[in-house]
Formats: sequence, C-alpha cells, structure tokens
Amino acid sequence: MTRASYIVVAVLAGGLLVLLPLLGSGYIVYLANLMLVYIVLALGLNILIGETGQFGLAHVAFYGIGIYTTAILTGRFDVPFLVAAAAGVLLAGSIGLLLGYVSFRMRDIYLALSTFAFGEAMQWVYRSWDAVTNGPNGMRIKPAELFGARIATDHDAYPFILTATIIIIAATVWLRGSRLGRAFRAVRESEPAALAMGVDVRRAKVIAFALSAAYAGAAGGMFATFSSFIHPDSLGFTETILVVTMIVVGGLGSISGAIVGALVLGAVQELLRQAPSYQEIIYGVILILFMMYLPKGLAGAVGNLARRAG
Amino acid sequence: MMGDWQVYWLFLQQGIASGLVTGSIYALLAIAIVIIFKTTDAPNFAAGEIFMAGAYIALYLVIFSQIAYVIAVPVTLGVTFILSALFYRVVLRRIGVSPAVAVNVVIATLGLSFVLKGIVRNTGFGDVPRSFPAVFGADTIQIGDAVLTMQDVAVFALALLAMVIFFVFFNYTRTGRAMRAVGMNPRAAALVGIDLHRTRMLIWGLSGLLSALAAILIAPKILMTADMGIVVILGFAAAIVGGFTSLPGAVVGGLIIGIVENLVGLFVSTRAIVVAPFIVIMLVLAVRPQGLFGGPTVIKKV
Repeated sequence: MTRASYIVVAVLAGGLLVLLPLLGSGYIVYLANLMLVYIVLALGLNILIGETGQFGLAHVAFYGIGIYTTAILTGRFDVPFLVAAAAGVLLAGSIGLLLGYVSFRMRDIYLALSTFAFGEAMQWVYRSWDAVTNGPNGMRIKPAELFGARIATDHDAYPFILTATIIIIAATVWLRGSRLGRAFRAVRESEPAALAMGVDVRRAKVIAFALSAAYAGAAGGMFATFSSFIHPDSLGFTETILVVTMIVVGGLGSISGAIVGALVLGAVQELLRQAPSYQEIIYGVILILFMMYLPKGLAGAVGNLARRAG
Repeated sequence: MMGDWQVYWLFLQQGIASGLVTGSIYALLAIAIVIIFKTTDAPNFAAGEIFMAGAYIALYLVIFSQIAYVIAVPVTLGVTFILSALFYRVVLRRIGVSPAVAVNVVIATLGLSFVLKGIVRNTGFGDVPRSFPAVFGADTIQIGDAVLTMQDVAVFALALLAMVIFFVFFNYTRTGRAMRAVGMNPRAAALVGIDLHRTRMLIWGLSGLLSALAAILIAPKILMTADMGIVVILGFAAAIVGGFTSLPGAVVGGLIIGIVENLVGLFVSTRAIVVAPFIVIMLVLAVRPQGLFGGPTVIKKV
C-alpha cells in the first residue's frame, strides 16, 4: 500500500468511529466501548510480551486493580472520576513495578508461571476481600461524572473512551520510537547484547512491567465509565488468555497487530455468543487454525501480501 | 497447653498423610507436564483438559456402558494416548517445536483445551456435576494418628507404582532413552538416528496416558465437571516448584504441594487452600528462580 492509501483508510476508519454512535444501537455502541478497552489491554500486554519479550500473565489482575480502584474511590469516597481513574492507573503501575522487581531474575516459563500465580492470587483477593470488593457478589459501579456531565449510557461514555484510546495509541506509537522502546526490543532480542550496548536490562524490564500494568489500569478506568457492575469471575486467567491470543493472532510486537487482534477476537467472541453451545469448540478450532496457517499473526500475513503485491 | 500440642501433632500427621495421597496425583500430572515441556519447548496448557477428557472417557465406559474396570481403565488410557499423539501429529508437527514458535504452540494447546471442554459440555454428560464411583472401599486404616480410607491408600500405591514403571521405562528401554535424548539435545538425538517426530508424538501420547491415569485415580475424590481440569494447575505448581525440567523435581514438587495444601487447610483455613500453592510457587521462585531441582539458569550467548 502507498502512503496515500494508508491515509484514506485512516480517514475512513476515523469517520466511521466518530459517526458510530449516530448509526449504531445501544448494543453496537456498548460493543465498540468494549473493543476499545480490549485495544488498550492488548497494547499494554504487547509492550511486555511483544516488545520486551517478558511472559507476564497477570494482565487482568492489573485491569481489576484499575476497575476496583476507580469504582471504590468514586462510589464510596466521592472522588472526581478522572482523579479516581488516575489513581487506578498509578496503583496498577506501582504494583506492576513491584512485580517486575520481584520477578526480573526469572525468565521464560518461570516468569510466565509466577505471574500466572500472581494473577490467580489477585483474583482470589477480589473474590475474598468482602469488605473492600464485596467479594463473590460483585460490586456496583457508580455512573461516572465527567466534566460536569453524568455518564449514564454507553452513548455518553463512547466519546470519552474513544478519546482515551486515541491518546493511548498515540503514546504507544511515540513510545515505540523512543529510546526506551528501542531498549525494550534490545532486551527481547538478546539480553547480553543489550547489556553490552549499555542498556540497563533490569531497568527496562521493570519499566515494561510497570507500563504494561498501567495500561491495564487505564483500561480498567475506561471500563468503569460505561459498565455498572464488576464481578471477580470476569477477572480470571481466561480473560488474560483472551488478551494474549489477541496480540498473538494480531502479530506479536506490532501496534497495528494488537489493535486488529483485539478487534478480530473481540468480534469473534461476540459472534460466538449466538451459538453458545458451540462457542468453545469453534473458538478453539479458530485458535488452532490460526497457529497452523498464520503463525506470524494477521500483521505478518498482511505484510507478506503487501510484499508480494510489490 | 499439652492438649493444644497434641492437636497440632495430630493435624501434622493427618496433613502429611493426606498430602502424600493428593500429592502423588499432582506428581503424576507434573511428570506429564514436564516430559512435554522438555521435548516440545512449550508448556501444554491443554494438560488440564486432557486430564478432564480422560476422566469423562472412563466415566462413559464404566457408568454408561457398564464395562468392567479391568477393561475400561486400559481402554481409557489407550484412547487418551491416541488423542494426545494425534494432536502432536496433526497440529504441532505443522507449527513446529522450536523456542521461536513456543508462543504459537502454547496458543494451539489453549485452542485444544477449549475444543475438549466444548466437546464434553456438548456430549450430554458434561452439563451436570457427576461423581465417579470409588473402586476400593471407604474402610479406614490408621497410620500413626492419621486416618486414611482404603481408597486413599490404593490411590497412593497405584500412583507410586505408575511412577516406578515410568522411571524404569524412561531409563532402561530404548524408546524411553530416545525420549530422554530428545529432551536433552534434539539435534544430537537426530544425528544418532532418533526419529524426532515419532519420539515427540510418543511423548505426547505418554503424557496423555499419565494424565488419564491421574484422572481415574483422583476422580472418585472430586466432583466431575467440564471445568475439573483446573486441578492440573496444581500439577503445574508441582512442576514449577521442582524446577520444570526435572522429573525427580516434579515428584518432590507434587508431594510438597499436596502436603502444604492439606496443612494449610488444617492449620489456617479451608478458604486459604486455593491460594497456598501459588504462595509456595512465589516463595520458591523468589529464592531459587530455577526451582528446587532446576539446573543453574543458562544464559544464552550472543
């Protein structure tokens, strides 16, 4: 594709996104909101797994921190919404920083499994800390108030969520080209080589953990604007795996891949709800076929096509 | 004061005895996970669902087809062996098994786990929780101050027997040694004439067989649902504690996890059981990032 055709696609997509609330019903807008949240989750996990090569599997735990922090601060302490969401991002980021420090010596499977353990432990906390999270009954989220307007419907939340997502995508693109982004990729390719080039490997890994967690926290804050309820069961390993499959199906280490993967798998999940009894089988088969025939993900496949087309 | 100590002493004995029983099952599962990880370079995230499928195949044969245990058990083991081996042959052979595509292998095994769960839910007996009949009686025997059922003792003895057979097979037969060679150095193994694909396929089959055996042994102790594969998380925990590439480590890890779980249940609270294995993992890995029996962490050269 030429530069001009990229711009055309971008303008068309942008127009569609702006017009969506006018065209779509409440359900469509709800889906759009959810997909945007998934995009932010996928971008965050892509920084850790795709860019830095660190197999953290606790992503949804940080998403939960974002949701619960925002919900508790606005609901019980009447903190302004943006402050509460920012607190969620900070808390998720700080706990991510801690997890990064604890686990920076671990690699590959050990890292995957210890972060998995952390994720499971966090879900247990959400389920059992009745006084704070209302435990297994789930928790109501108070409708958000933003710039004086009360957000009661998915339509109200959409402009805010779209803006937040665009800002986050822009920040991700900037990060990728920055010194830190290059340090991430150097660590992924070879730690000793990165070290020899003067990259502080430990610092890069810990920052990647913290950033990735902060993204998940931000996604949690976004979720809290349009959702009125959170249940610990939706913050389990399956959800983390959904985000992992999004970035792998999209193409690891690619920003557009993470976005497309979030959209495609988000759409597949929703479509499969129409056939609940076959949902798991079809979803499983799709994953297996993707890995068999498109191992580099959609981004890789599109890249190959473009190269063949010249 | 004396009374308290007697209770603690009783708890300790009971916790260790019950822990060894469940721990021996976790050890079997951990072996099934470790042999795949060593030869495929990726963890098998469908291990839980292969275990679950094994339990349901046995349930189908024993309850719905009224086939005697002596036939049903070998048939179950055989079917799971073939299913796992087929998954390697059809899917993983195409994806490849180098560390570079480990993520893809992991996602493919996740796909398999969804497929198996979906199939069991759709067969008509995966929709309601079921219980598996115990083979051995509920009579109890006393060891020290601990009380175990005959079923428990039989489970422990059979799991131990299976491990002994497995170790003999792995160390003293030609196929077993080929499997070890592939785990140590696939290129060198290929050079001395070992068929990598065939060996890996057999490993997958063997791993499925061990999972099904664990499933048959533990099924009478737990409620069967399509989500029962969650038990295998404890097999993973055991494998991690033991170092993830070490078979003795897998066994020791399994027993540790089983005992800690039971002791936490008796001394702390039954609600804390779920989280206990994860705390063990994080503690062990924080001190020894390579697990108890894992060799020194190898740093890749540039």
